[in-house]
Amino acid sequence: MTAPHDHPFVPARAAARPDAPARGVGAPREGAEPRLEPRLETVRVTVPDLARRSALERARGRLVLAAFGFLALYLAVGARLAWVMVIHPRLPPVAERSPARPLPAAAPRARRAAIVDANGAILAVSLPSAALYADPRQMIDRRAAAAALGRILPGLDVAALTRRFESSLAFVYVAREITGTQEVAINRLGIPGLYFLPTERRHYPEGRVAAHVLGSVDVDEHGIAGVEKWFNRRLMSDPRPLRLSIDVRVQAIVRQALARQIATFHAKAGCAIVMDARQGRVLALVSLPDFNANRFALAKPAQHFDRCVTGDYEPGSTFKLQTLSNALDHGLIHVWDQFNTTHPIFLGRFAITDFEPVTRWLYVPEILAYSSNIGASRIGLILGRDRERAWLRKLGFFTRAGIELPESAMPEVQTRAQWGKATVMTVSFGNGIAVTPIQLVAGAVAVVNGGVFYRPTLLAARPGAPPRRGRRVMKRSTSRVMRQLMRDVVLSGTGNLVHVAGYFVGGKTGTSQKIGKNGYRLHSNLASFIGVFPGYAPRYVVYAMVDSPIGNKKSFGFATGGFVAGPAVQDVIARIGPMLGVMPVMAGTTEAKAITAALALPLHPTAPPGAIALGPGNPIPPGAADAPVPNGPAVGRPAGVAAPKPRLLPGVPARRQALRSGAGTGAGGGQRVAAR
Amino acid sequence: MERRRLRETSIDLFAKLARVSWPFVLLVVLLGVVGYAALYSAAGGAPRPYAEPQAIRFAIGVLAMLVIAMVDIRFIARLAWPLYVVGIALLLLVAGFGHISNGARRWVVVAGVDLQPSELMKLLLILALAAWFRRASWERVGNPLFLVPPILATAVPAFLILREPNLGTAVITLSIGGAIFWAAGVRWWKFALVIALAAVIAPIAYAHLHGYQRQRILTFLHPSRDPLGTGYNIIQSKIALGAGGMWGQGYLHGTQGQLDFLPEKQTDFIFALFSEEFGLVGGLALIGLLALVILYTMAIGLACRHQFGRLVAVGVATNLFLYVFVNIAMVMGAIPVGGVPLPLISYGGSAMLAVMAGFGVLLSAHVHRDVEFPDAAGG
Repeated sequence: MTAPHDHPFVPARAAARPDAPARGVGAPREGAEPRLEPRLETVRVTVPDLARRSALERARGRLVLAAFGFLALYLAVGARLAWVMVIHPRLPPVAERSPARPLPAAAPRARRAAIVDANGAILAVSLPSAALYADPRQMIDRRAAAAALGRILPGLDVAALTRRFESSLAFVYVAREITGTQEVAINRLGIPGLYFLPTERRHYPEGRVAAHVLGSVDVDEHGIAGVEKWFNRRLMSDPRPLRLSIDVRVQAIVRQALARQIATFHAKAGCAIVMDARQGRVLALVSLPDFNANRFALAKPAQHFDRCVTGDYEPGSTFKLQTLSNALDHGLIHVWDQFNTTHPIFLGRFAITDFEPVTRWLYVPEILAYSSNIGASRIGLILGRDRERAWLRKLGFFTRAGIELPESAMPEVQTRAQWGKATVMTVSFGNGIAVTPIQLVAGAVAVVNGGVFYRPTLLAARPGAPPRRGRRVMKRSTSRVMRQLMRDVVLSGTGNLVHVAGYFVGGKTGTSQKIGKNGYRLHSNLASFIGVFPGYAPRYVVYAMVDSPIGNKKSFGFATGGFVAGPAVQDVIARIGPMLGVMPVMAGTTEAKAITAALALPLHPTAPPGAIALGPGNPIPPGAADAPVPNGPAVGRPAGVAAPKPRLLPGVPARRQALRSGAGTGAGGGQRVAAR
Repeated sequence: MERRRLRETSIDLFAKLARVSWPFVLLVVLLGVVGYAALYSAAGGAPRPYAEPQAIRFAIGVLAMLVIAMVDIRFIARLAWPLYVVGIALLLLVAGFGHISNGARRWVVVAGVDLQPSELMKLLLILALAAWFRRASWERVGNPLFLVPPILATAVPAFLILREPNLGTAVITLSIGGAIFWAAGVRWWKFALVIALAAVIAPIAYAHLHGYQRQRILTFLHPSRDPLGTGYNIIQSKIALGAGGMWGQGYLHGTQGQLDFLPEKQTDFIFALFSEEFGLVGGLALIGLLALVILYTMAIGLACRHQFGRLVAVGVATNLFLYVFVNIAMVMGAIPVGGVPLPLISYGGSAMLAVMAGFGVLLSAHVHRDVEFPDAAGG
C-alpha cells in the first residue's frame, strides 16, 4: 500500500488477473509487494509488469485529465460561437446589405409639394438631384481629382477646391445640384472619396412667368419669397400640389402685353393684374422688370421688387371710382348733379386744377369721363373726412391687401389728425394716399361686382367648396351706376382707346405724377388703367400700370393712362376673354342692343321728376360734411400768389409730406396737383 | 476465454469484426454525411465538384479504416518506426520537389495522387512515439536521455512542415508530440520548463531576426495585417456566422456562402458556410458531434490494456481535437492562422485519409485491446 509509485491497488488488480504471468516477485524497491504475497499466493507480479501497469494507470489518469481539458476547450469554443453568431453578430458593410424589405414600387415622394396653376399646369416642382461632397483623405491624387471635377462641373473654382482637398478636412462640399449626366460622368472618373448626397432641386418650368408670385426657395428648399415662403409649411407637410388661382396662360399674355407697352414708351417698369370680379381670385399678377424664378439669387433688387403688392403708389384718377361710389352710395350726389369745374380750387398754397380745363359746370358722368380733379375734390368735400376715411377703410385701403404673399406692403395713409381738408380733396382724386395696385384692384372689384368686397387671394377654388364669402360694402344699385359711369369713360372719355368689340369694357384711367426727392416730379408719371369686362356683368377686372412712360408720336406726345396703360388692358381683354370662356356679344344683335341700353348713361343726364339736382343754384346737398368748401368761387389764395416756404411736419416721412411741401414751383405760382 | 483467444495472432476475422466499435464507426459515417451535405451546399446545391469526389474518398477511407482495424496492433507497432522514416522521406521529397499551391509547398504526387505528407506524418509520428513510450517505465521516462530520441522524432517533422510553410500543422504536430509525451508520464515540471524556455527564447530570437523575417512571422501570426488576403477571409467568415444567427438562413440559402462572399468555403471555411445555413444550433450540433468522436476515442484508449493503444488514442484524439479547435477558432477570427481544415467535413483527400487511417489504428487497438505485447516484459 505504500508503494513508491503510489498505485496501491495495482497488486490487487494484478492479483485479480488469473492469466497474469506468474513470475518471481520483484526488486527490492517493490518492497511493499511481498507483504501482499502471503495473501495472494497464486499471483506473481514481475517488476517490469508492475512498471507497465503503473505506466498504464498513469496514462489513464492523464487521459481522463486530457479528456476534460478538451471538453473545457470545446465549451469555450461553443461559447465563443454563440457570441459571434447570436450575441454580437458582425454585420456586412452597408453596401453589401440588401434592403430588409423590397423597395416600394411607387415613385419616391418629393420632399416639397409642387405648385400648380388653376388648370393644373406645373409652376414649381421639386426634382431629384444630388450634392457632391468628398472625403479627401480617401483620395489617391487630390490635385488630379480637383482638376478632373473641374472638367465636368463648369464654374468650379479648381484652385480653391485643390486647396480644400489638400487640407486635412474629412468633408468637403464640392457642388450642389449636380445633374444626372454630371453624376454619371463623375462616377466614371472612379475617384475614391467622392460621394453623392441625394437632394432635391426646385424647378420653375415657366421661368420668368409668375416669378414674383412664386418667389423662390433656398438651397435647403425653404421658401424665401412669394408663395413659396407664405405656404412654406404647407408645401413641406402636404404632398398634394398647391393649386393657385393664377392662370399661367393669362399670366403670360398679361406679361407680354405689359412688356410691349413698357418698351413702346421707354418706361422703367410696370405692373398688371387680372382679378376675378366674382371671387377676388387673382388670375395674373405681373411686375416688370421681373426675373427668372430658377435664378432668383442672380436677380437685382429692382427685379425682385413686386410692384403689384409691395409698391405703394398714388393711385391717381382711378381712385375717383371710390370717391364717386362713396358719394353715390351715401345718396349725397346723383348722376344728374353738376359741379363747378370752371376754375382751380386754391387751398392754402395748393391749387387743384384739371388736365383739360373747361369753362362750365360738369355733370357727374363727365367728371369721371373727363377725369376732373376739381369735380372730384368738390364731391370729396361733400363727403368730408370721416365718410371718406370710413369708406376707404371699409374697402381695405388702410391695411395690407391680405393676399398670400409675404411681400405685401402696408399702404401709406395720413392719420386722422393729418387728414385735413386738403387731404380730403387730394385723396378724392387719388393723391395724398399711396396704396398697392392689388388693393386698388380689389377695391375696383367691389365697385363693379354689385358691391361685395373680397380679400384678394392667390388660391384656386377647391372643387366642391362653397363660393368665397365677401363683404357687402355698397348698394347693388350704386355698383350698377358705377358700371354705367365706367362705360362712359370708355365710350366718350379718357378711356376711348380701350375698345374691345363685344365686351362692353368699362374702366377708368389714371395718371399720377411721381414723387421725387423734393415733391412731385413734373415730367415723370405713372400711367394706369383699370378696366372691367364684360361691362354688363363683370367677370374680370384688368389693371395695368406703366412707370415713367415717355410720350411718343403714337400717343401724340401724351404719356397718360389712356394712351399708355389702356392699350395693354385692351390687348389683354381681347386675348383672354375667349380663353376664359367670356364670349363677345356680336354687335347689332338684340342682345347687344339690350346691353347697350342697360349700360347707357348720358353724359348730361336729366334729373327724374321731383328730384332736385345740384347745380349752379344749389351747390351743396343736404347732409354734406361740415363746412365744406363752397361749391362756388375760388377759396384761399388766388393764382399768382407766391407759394410759402415748404414746411415739413415733424415725425412724418418726407414722402408723405410731399403733398404739403411741394417743389419746383411752376410759373403759375401754386403747385399744380394734377391727376387724370 | 475470448481474451485468451485474442492474444493469438491467428484470429477469426469475424470475431474481430464483431469486436469493432460499431457506434464509433456510425459516428464517423454521420460526420461524413454532414460533410457531404456541406460540400453539396458549397457547390451551390450540386454534387459536383466537391461532394461527389469527397464521398468516393470517404467510402475508400471507411474501407481502409476497417481494413486497418483488422491488422494486429502489435504488427502496427512493429511497423511504426519504418513508416516514420518513410514519412520523413516524403516530407523531404515535398521540400525538394513538391508543387506549390496557395503560396505553400505542401503537396507531392504519389502514384498519380496528390498527397499532403504533413497530414500523414502526424499519424506516423503518433505511431512512432507510441511505440517508443509503450514499454517505458516511470523511471525511464524520468531519464532525460530517454527523451532525446522522441524529442528529435517530433522536432524534425515539425521543422520540415514549418518550412513548407504550414504553421498550423507544424504547431499541431508539436502539440500531438507533447500530448503523447504527457500521456506517457513525462514529468509536469519538464513541460513547464520547456514552455518557460520558449517564452524566454522567443523574444530574444525575434530581436535577432532580420526585418523581412520579422515581417514574415508577423504575417504568420497576424494575417489581418494583409486586409486583402486572409483578413478579408476572416471578415467575410464572421459576417457569415453573424448572418446565421440562432436558427440559420436555411440549407442552401446562406447568402455569404451561396453568393461567393465566403472564400475557401469548401475547405478552411466550411464551418462558416455550415453555420450560416444551420445557425448556432447547427454549429453547436456539429461541434458536439466532433466532441463525441473525440471523447469516444479517449474512451477506446482507456479501454486498452496496453500502453501502445492508449498512446495512439491520445495522439489521434489530440490530432482531431486540434484540427477542430484551430479550424473553428480561425473561422471565428479568434486565432489568426490558416491552412487547417475541418476533419471529415472539409473538401480534401489527404487530411481525411490520414484521419481515417488514424481511426483505423484506433479501431485496431480497440479490437486488439487485450493483446499482450511479446516484449512487454523485455523492459
